[in-house]
Amino acid sequence: MIEFFIDGVPCTAETGQTVIQAALSAGVRIPSFCWHPNLSVPGNCRICMVEVEAEGGAWFDIACNMPVTKGMRVLTDSGKVRELRKDTMQFITLNHPVDCGICNKSGECLLQDHHYAYNGQPSLSRDSKTHATKFYPLSDRIMLDNERCIMCSRCVRFTDEVSKSRALGVINRGDHSLIRPNEEVDFNDDPYSDNIIDICPVGALLSRQLLDHARVWYLKATPSVCPGCERGCSINIWHRKSEWKLNALDPQLNTSIDRVTPLENPAVNGPWTCNKARDLSRIFERPRALQSKVKSAPADLAAAINAATALIDASSRAVALVSSWGSNEELAAFHSTLGGSFTSFVKADHVPVPGERIEDDVLIKADKNPNRFAALAMFSALPDDAASAFPADTDLVLVWGEGAPWSAIPSSARVILLTSYDQPENVRADVLIPISVQTERNGHYTNFQGTITAFEQCFPKHAPIADAASLFEVLYSSTSRVAGTK
Amino acid sequence: MSNRITTGGQKLFMTFDITPTSHSLAEYKARGGYSALRKALTEMKPEQVTKEVLASGLLGHGGAAFLAGRKWGVVKLNDGQPHYLCMNADEGEPGTFKDRWFLENTPHLLLESMLIGSYALQGRHSFIYIRGEFDLAYRRMADALEEAYAAGLFGENILGTDFACDLVIYRGAGSYVCGEASAMLTSLEGKKGYPRNRPPRLTVAGLYQKPTVVNNVETLANVPYIVTHGAEGFRKVGTAESPGTQVISVSGHINTPGVYELEYGYPFADFLANECGGMLNGSELKCVVPGGISTKVLTKDDIMPLRMDHHSFVAAGSQLGSQGMIVVAEGTCMVRLLQVMLRFYHHESCGQCTPCREGMGWLERISNRLVAGQGRPEDIDRLYQISRANDGTTICGLGDAAGYATVGILDKYRNEFDYFIEHKKSMFGGRLEVAGIGDNARLVDAAVA
Amino acid sequence: MKHLVPEFETWKKRYPAGFESSLVIPCCRRIQEDRGYVSDEDIADLTEYLGVPRIQIEEVLAFYTQFRRKPIGTWHVQLCHNVSCSMRGAEGLLAHLQGKLGVQPGQTTTDGRFTLSTVECLASCGTAPMLMVNDTYHENLNEAKVDALLAALSAEYQT
Repeated sequence: MIEFFIDGVPCTAETGQTVIQAALSAGVRIPSFCWHPNLSVPGNCRICMVEVEAEGGAWFDIACNMPVTKGMRVLTDSGKVRELRKDTMQFITLNHPVDCGICNKSGECLLQDHHYAYNGQPSLSRDSKTHATKFYPLSDRIMLDNERCIMCSRCVRFTDEVSKSRALGVINRGDHSLIRPNEEVDFNDDPYSDNIIDICPVGALLSRQLLDHARVWYLKATPSVCPGCERGCSINIWHRKSEWKLNALDPQLNTSIDRVTPLENPAVNGPWTCNKARDLSRIFERPRALQSKVKSAPADLAAAINAATALIDASSRAVALVSSWGSNEELAAFHSTLGGSFTSFVKADHVPVPGERIEDDVLIKADKNPNRFAALAMFSALPDDAASAFPADTDLVLVWGEGAPWSAIPSSARVILLTSYDQPENVRADVLIPISVQTERNGHYTNFQGTITAFEQCFPKHAPIADAASLFEVLYSSTSRVAGTK
Repeated sequence: MSNRITTGGQKLFMTFDITPTSHSLAEYKARGGYSALRKALTEMKPEQVTKEVLASGLLGHGGAAFLAGRKWGVVKLNDGQPHYLCMNADEGEPGTFKDRWFLENTPHLLLESMLIGSYALQGRHSFIYIRGEFDLAYRRMADALEEAYAAGLFGENILGTDFACDLVIYRGAGSYVCGEASAMLTSLEGKKGYPRNRPPRLTVAGLYQKPTVVNNVETLANVPYIVTHGAEGFRKVGTAESPGTQVISVSGHINTPGVYELEYGYPFADFLANECGGMLNGSELKCVVPGGISTKVLTKDDIMPLRMDHHSFVAAGSQLGSQGMIVVAEGTCMVRLLQVMLRFYHHESCGQCTPCREGMGWLERISNRLVAGQGRPEDIDRLYQISRANDGTTICGLGDAAGYATVGILDKYRNEFDYFIEHKKSMFGGRLEVAGIGDNARLVDAAVA
Repeated sequence: MKHLVPEFETWKKRYPAGFESSLVIPCCRRIQEDRGYVSDEDIADLTEYLGVPRIQIEEVLAFYTQFRRKPIGTWHVQLCHNVSCSMRGAEGLLAHLQGKLGVQPGQTTTDGRFTLSTVECLASCGTAPMLMVNDTYHENLNEAKVDALLAALSAEYQT
């Protein structure tokens, strides 16, 4: 540990830390554009320059590349440092188009933040700004605006060091420099591409799908967990704030996922997530199962519960297929209630789709379900040969969630289906009861490392839909006897 | 009949007549070539060579005038790491063409110096980085290298010792910024010539992050003499604070531009009269850009009394720099001169860091507007401010250099800029040439706004 | 590019192990010498041969002024217009060349013979004004010498 001073206050740094890292740990914010705690140090933006007091005269240098030495006296806000920052801001905004009114980054833009904090003055230039490509399709998902780009190189370093797709680079030189994609690599193939949207400090890299979708201050972020694989990245799900709800458009827009961004979690995903998390609306906003059914005829919830209870009472050999998307709470509820009445197996609700990356050494895990780890602690896994899970005399199968091996289920068995989505195979169910999805309740998942992370409710449930946990309780208390073996 | 100049004091390099074959191995050996190498390899330990270079007081000839031996001394011998010696032959500072003289005329001197330097630094592989445009220089060096390999002067068991060394002559491809040592190494790694932040110093982590010493062509050229004559022998030449000689390139409005070797301490007035042949076509001296355009301009009154050594030029507010002197006659428009310089810096900025990437374009645009007769008084403040904002704030010295060029000319010739703004034209018809020069005399009158 | 590989292999011998990345620039130069420019196919071949990321080669070709990805005229006339050359008549020579060739800097004559460029300091200030044609310096110029040079190059082109 090294002892030194920031603005007269004693601080400590670990050996090898730079001033900006030590300052961050000490809660002192030194501004940066190009420096990012999880990427290499290019030291090109120069906004983090600080003053170091010394006997021979103060010296000035960038904090992101400045090793901490014992007794060092760093000043982050002296008169000269303020002047340096003003100069840097003048240069950065020299050719930057004043697009704020039409730029999606507005409201969460580091350039706006630092401009107001450290300069706040109009440009001193009386010459025209230089121009460059305004809408360059970097991929199907990301658009690049070269005029807004301040050449911090975060995006290039991300594709070099984190996703390793080597998809981006800088061509030309001087103020003609341009971020451009590798001519052979299809950036669409980089499943981590959208992280560059988050880390871009300006509005140069934006999601094409979300362009002009909503101002960020209309939205609120709810912490959640991505269910796309057993990594369980911490994420923020962004949706409309109630005070900014849309009155004249489809009310659905007020309860849908506007966007997904990573939520920093050093233990699980760092500050990153993959594109599957960004596209969670494709999972959660599929057509929903909203109506309870008994033998494919609409029924009210009470009638469906009665029908299901009757089936449970009447069965002598019952098998349950447990959802690997069930939360820790739901799994515990099943285990302590209906679990005793069924021989239970954990299934993989989702498997990799064609073209999806199976696994890598960055974030993506092969198991495309968020909670198999917790489920397998309580129940056995469904064998690869699914048919062997069903004894010949199986008369009832409880299917919880998606992805059931329908062809393996004996045709003579009755089926109780608890599911969220409206899918063709739902007709196989003797009783269908719709259940809520992750975004409609609180809960926890346990990832492949055994780390437990919470997700919070974003949206209210649709009216007649119950949570699986409470359903299990109700069904259990309604049955007249315990049937079957574990 | 000798083609050598005899004024300017003692010569260490221009000691032979240049002929179509004087650069060959045979003739170099006949002049005593590679005897310093033999002495170093057979009579001295590597650390003794470094000690001698340090004691000689040899200052770098690339522009920074840093004590060469001190740089060598930082490299830890026997640390188990590869060490690289790289000769910086990316001569690109406008006005400078003296390294070219060495490359074309004394290639074997340079190879011998690389061998001695590699021996001192325990470098198994060494590199000479030549700017891409120097085709003749490259071919001379490459031919000399093959001669040297054939004579067993490179490869294994050099001169029968266990010293081994391989050398690569690496050509650049058109980039001034690759003359900056860290950018040169990044270019040598096969990438864009992006300078690097320090720390780490290149002597700790340079080429492929290994300890690397980068020296200018002329700096290294001095090493064989130091080995042969010792630090004491070297110090007999030049002055106490600037030992040895400088090979200076001089151009502009003079009668005999060219490359000359001068013992340090030689009076500028003598240099102008003798080596330079006096001012061109009877013109009067106005000012001098002493050491490449990145050094501050010195007026006639500033420079005439000076002796040509580091101390004197620093005291006068400038420096000897890259030893590329440009002599300017009265009647030259300094506003247009600055415009050409700023266009250059803008063209050469690598684009990494904010002050230089944006500032160089800003400086050029302002100077273009001034020359077009659309300047405003605040433009002068802006030029000063941009220069100040590039002073010590950038990754490498390119930003600072543009600032020195700008501030130097503004400080001395402010009146020409004020005149241009007020009258929307140059005080001197926009002239960069001296009247009567060949058949290319041109008068450029700035457009009236 | 493949026929140049044996040459590249001999170069490798003088470099330390692990310096494949360094070969990007010399290989590009040799390819351009051979073809007149570096083609997309050359970039793909070089990427594979050296095992470097393709983007590195693309960046290098765009960063350095001497590399080009499209063919130009037979004779690349590169006139220095930096300080010392401008002080000795380069601007007049540029106007003369523009008139003689009928092109602006950056353009090629319609017969494909000459491409005209203005370049920065070539370290030949003592023999200003000067220009470089392909790899050869032509120094101490004036209009008459330039005319003679263009005539000689045109004749060479024809044979």
